[in-house]
Amino acid sequence: MSSATWLLTRRTLIQFPRNPMVLGFSVAPVLMMFVVFGALFEGVKQLPGFPTDNYFEYLAPAAVLMTTVPGIANAAVGLATDFQSRYLHKLLTLPVSIGSIMAGRLLADGARLFLQAGAVLLLALALGAHIASGIAGALLMLLMGTLFGIVTFGVLTANLALKSKDPAAVQAVFPMAFLLIFLTTAYQTEEQVPSGVLRAVIGANPTEYVLRAMRELTLTGFDWQTIGVAFLVIAGLGLIGVPLTAWNYRSVYG
Amino acid sequence: MRHVLVRALLDSAPRGTGPDDAIVVEELAKRYPNGTEAVRGISFRVRAGDVFGILGPNGAGKSTTMGMLGTLVRPTAGRATVAGFDVTDRPLAVRRRIGFAMQEVGVDELATGSELVVLHGRLHGLSRREAARRAALLLDLVGLGDAASRRMGEYSGGMQRRVDLASALVHLPPVLFLDEPTEGLDPHGRTAIWETLERLNEALGMTIVLTTHYMEEADRLCDRIAIIDRGRIVTEGTPAELKGAATLEDAYLRATGRVLELAA
Repeated sequence: MSSATWLLTRRTLIQFPRNPMVLGFSVAPVLMMFVVFGALFEGVKQLPGFPTDNYFEYLAPAAVLMTTVPGIANAAVGLATDFQSRYLHKLLTLPVSIGSIMAGRLLADGARLFLQAGAVLLLALALGAHIASGIAGALLMLLMGTLFGIVTFGVLTANLALKSKDPAAVQAVFPMAFLLIFLTTAYQTEEQVPSGVLRAVIGANPTEYVLRAMRELTLTGFDWQTIGVAFLVIAGLGLIGVPLTAWNYRSVYG
Repeated sequence: MRHVLVRALLDSAPRGTGPDDAIVVEELAKRYPNGTEAVRGISFRVRAGDVFGILGPNGAGKSTTMGMLGTLVRPTAGRATVAGFDVTDRPLAVRRRIGFAMQEVGVDELATGSELVVLHGRLHGLSRREAARRAALLLDLVGLGDAASRRMGEYSGGMQRRVDLASALVHLPPVLFLDEPTEGLDPHGRTAIWETLERLNEALGMTIVLTTHYMEEADRLCDRIAIIDRGRIVTEGTPAELKGAATLEDAYLRATGRVLELAA
């Protein structure tokens, strides 16, 4: 990481506690949803072939993604806010690349989400869930969730922020993150999905492959093949998203 | 007191010699995607160590010109070099050598004044200790010593302009761009900024390019002035040459054929 990226990451990290509302409201709904969904759909675990008798255990990976995927959009909101306040222009008169400015934001928000998703896992443990792969597996799951959030919704909303320069426009796409997570086996197993079309959509959704690896870590332990697939998906999305963002920046500001 | 602060600030300043012309602008133009021709082929040179003023009515192209020289706006024709580097080909090299205080101030409202100036110093490669030392001196210099640890969201517009100026000076750049630097400041604040700029220019040989609506400001600070109107330079010279027997304000009105819009 360049020193400029670190200085800009540090700037955002220092400022998080100064906006406690954002800090609180970016994780509180997920914690509530985790508890409510866990109670509402608890009956699913009675169905034949369900892999665990603790539904919170099954739900925990989805809750991590519910934290990291929509939560990373705050980085783009911050970018658009810097644009509106014209502070971004000020930064661009300094010997700093736009890549460092965006990376600084994404890394700081990534660190925040890693900790917030960690809080979600702690709640899962408090509700009787067990993580088969232990602390190392839990940390790997948090890393996967955070990286996936950055390369999907982080990249999408950063591009939107570059184009629209408007925090409200960035916030308007938040619900799409939930669609990305709902169209997976986050809440029930593939066998329980009623329609073949839906199963095909789930199979085409990259979120599913990251979720599967995270679920393996929760329910069975380290399955390096599914973990490898998940990291390939994350790397592939990053390889598409990062150059796309650079191109988008040049088309807007070049 | 101000002289003591400036002296302390200059202790660690580099006194390198750059090119004779700190800024060379040749047929520089900017046409925005909506078709607006903000700048239509302007040319001028600024000698190293000079204070150069750009005067003109609102919409004349002053801020676009500053934006192009500060690497914020990409020219559509012509070329410009700042401190010996082309603004289009070597933007990062230019940014290392300039300070830019903007017309519409962009500050980070969640940061304190001190944090902002230190961050900008660090991004310019200063050590943590040196950035903190200069930030403290500069914030004192612009009259914000007492407000240094307050968040900038609580600052008035005038305070934000002053912290912006302090952040533009933290690395003691060889070339300083000031887009209407004293707009919105009270007479006391304006005089303080003028004295600081005069000292920095004198002691460091800092080249300063400023836009202003204040004739008094241009007359007092500038070695040379260009009057720009509708994207073209209509006249250029020293304040004495432009004034002739009359005042600078008369010269401005003669050159632009307009009523002064915001002159003090």
